Amino acid sequence: MRDVNPDGRGVPLTTLLPGERAQIVALGHGSGRQHHFRTMGLMEGKIVKLIATQPARGPFVIDVEGTQIAIGRGMARRILIRKL
Amino acid sequence: MKKIALTGCPNVGKSVIFSRLTGVNVISSNYPGTTVDFTKGTTTIGGEKFELIDVPGTYSLEATSKAEEVARTMLQEGDIVINVVDATHLERNLYLTLETLEMKKPTVVALNLWDDTKHLGIDIDAAKLETLLGVPVVPTCAITGEGIKELASKAHSAEPSKTIELMSEKARWLKVGEIIRDVQVVHHRHHTVGERIADATVKPMTGIPIAILVILFMFLFIIKIGNAIIEYLMDPIFCNYYGPWIVGVVNSFAPSGLLHDILIGTSTVEALDFEQSLGILTTGLYVPFGMVLPFIITFYFMLSVLEDLGYLPRLAILVDTGLHKLGLHGSAIVPTILGCGCNVPGALATRILETKKQRFIAMTLMAISVPCMAQSAMIFAILGRYGLKWIFIVYSTLLVLYILLGLLLKRIVKGESPELLLEIPPYRKPDPVTLLKKTWSKAYEFLAEAVPFVILGIFIVNLLYIFGAVDVLSMVFSPILTTLLGLPEGAIVALMLGVLRKDIAIGMLLPLGMSPQQLTIACIILSTYFPCIATFFVMLHELGVKYMLEATGLMIVVSFSAGMIMRVILIGIS
Ligand SMILES: Nc1nc2c(ncn2[C@@H]2O[C@H](COP(=O)(O)OP(=O)(O)OP(=O)(O)O)[C@@H](O)[C@H]2O)c(=O)[nH]1
Ligand SMILES: [Mg+2]
Repeated sequence: MRDVNPDGRGVPLTTLLPGERAQIVALGHGSGRQHHFRTMGLMEGKIVKLIATQPARGPFVIDVEGTQIAIGRGMARRILIRKL
Repeated sequence: MKKIALTGCPNVGKSVIFSRLTGVNVISSNYPGTTVDFTKGTTTIGGEKFELIDVPGTYSLEATSKAEEVARTMLQEGDIVINVVDATHLERNLYLTLETLEMKKPTVVALNLWDDTKHLGIDIDAAKLETLLGVPVVPTCAITGEGIKELASKAHSAEPSKTIELMSEKARWLKVGEIIRDVQVVHHRHHTVGERIADATVKPMTGIPIAILVILFMFLFIIKIGNAIIEYLMDPIFCNYYGPWIVGVVNSFAPSGLLHDILIGTSTVEALDFEQSLGILTTGLYVPFGMVLPFIITFYFMLSVLEDLGYLPRLAILVDTGLHKLGLHGSAIVPTILGCGCNVPGALATRILETKKQRFIAMTLMAISVPCMAQSAMIFAILGRYGLKWIFIVYSTLLVLYILLGLLLKRIVKGESPELLLEIPPYRKPDPVTLLKKTWSKAYEFLAEAVPFVILGIFIVNLLYIFGAVDVLSMVFSPILTTLLGLPEGAIVALMLGVLRKDIAIGMLLPLGMSPQQLTIACIILSTYFPCIATFFVMLHELGVKYMLEATGLMIVVSFSAGMIMRVILIGIS
């Protein structure tokens, strides 16, 4: 299992390819940001699908249970996932 | 009078519900962050009058932007709360619902977008939800009005929840999960063709060409249709009917003299001149109605289509990388596009940006480089007659300034420029009636502002000429205007009026008999040197005195530098 760290905490969201699905393992930011993520529907245990990435280190567009969210690459990197 | 506060996540239909209940038309659009300030209105429920407050959307009561702070403050004010919930995303909406219920105010919950739950295969047991939350839950469809009456009457008799008590964040999420398991069943469904097309607009390979086409189409539509309205409607009305009539009427009681000149200026029946006569009933009405209004109508119609479709947040994704280089992020495209209509709502819309640094940069760049539609319409009108080239030079210069200043401000302004985090709403079919209503309300707003101020401006100019002040001012400023910028000294009148309004200021350039080169330089300076008074005060309010002084200083420096550079390029040093 190349995609999962030895401690089982998953890999960054940024490793997903367009069309791939994964489960969110951890939100990995400070508690304020985590809180904001959850209220937007980005929560541990949810299934995300990568819709698109923008060139030149642009944002990611993901789908979480029918909500599409655009998220900057730096923020996305700290969200950990387990690929499905 | 008791106050009812609306609350809810962004883009759930609060503003549509507000408009339905109060009859006050507030702007609703299909993107999060449409409402950035509160609006109050009154509504009568069961014979009793209530004050209803529309607020910006917020994901939770912990604000992350200025708009969200407004929402939290206004919620405190309400005696009764209507919590509007997106029924198609019940789970993440319920968090705010619980937070709201914990405040122990009389509350009702509107399960809005109920119509959408059916084709998304979502079943919600509203009765059970009502029991669990301990307050009335009413399924609604704000755009058709379904359920709104019931919502209002339930709000009248609302009481605080007895089942929801104050809890920790963690407990709240557990509770949300518990409730969702009890009341909601989601049937599996496949990606529809529509969704695939929707995705194409955010994938760079397809999205960027689509965006270019959309913007090009929007631009052509605004110009072509706007010009057609002028040619086939406005000009015939003014030249064939209104003009001869008003000249006749004024001549009948003031055939010459001061009053005659102020009312219709130099116009006569034989030589009707709406553009340069400087009468408040000729130029004063022709500028707003005959030159600007047609473009206001076409601009806001197109903007409303994009807003209601839900295209703007997609555009935000595509331009995000570019805007980061200027210290902003993708969301700043929304205030910028709104600013192309009018800088005032544009400046207010910067409230959706998270930090002061972003808001300062977005507002300053807008004040300098984004001409409002009234100004653009006049630029089209006076430069268009010399060829598209000149219009192109003006807008390219503004774009270059936007980019250079952004690059600079990103580096010198203290503070943070966080990354984009934006919910992308589903595409919706724009409703024709709503589109026309929105366009009409914008056109009306424009006229209500423009007509009095344009007339006031022309009146002031008349006074300046009558009392010979123009000559004095021209002399004082001629070193700057003539020597440095290559403009006729009379351009000072335009610069002074530009503080009031930009459209009439540009109109003031016409009687000066300038070359296209001079007109181009003057248009660039008028766009950049200072915002109109309305924008100035909004920015002052939003930024505070210190920041506004900095912004103003920057505007003046940038404007005159750009003016001098363009003088050297276009006219040369002679
Ligand atoms: N299908 C459907 N669309 C709706 C309904 N209610 C609102 N809309 C649409 O949803 C979009 C958002 O509506 P708004 O009233 O602007 O939402 P808001 O909650 O005020 O949004 P913010 O001010 O951004 O927080 C608009 O395009 C509306 O036309 C509904 O019940 N059904
Ligand atoms: Mg709103």
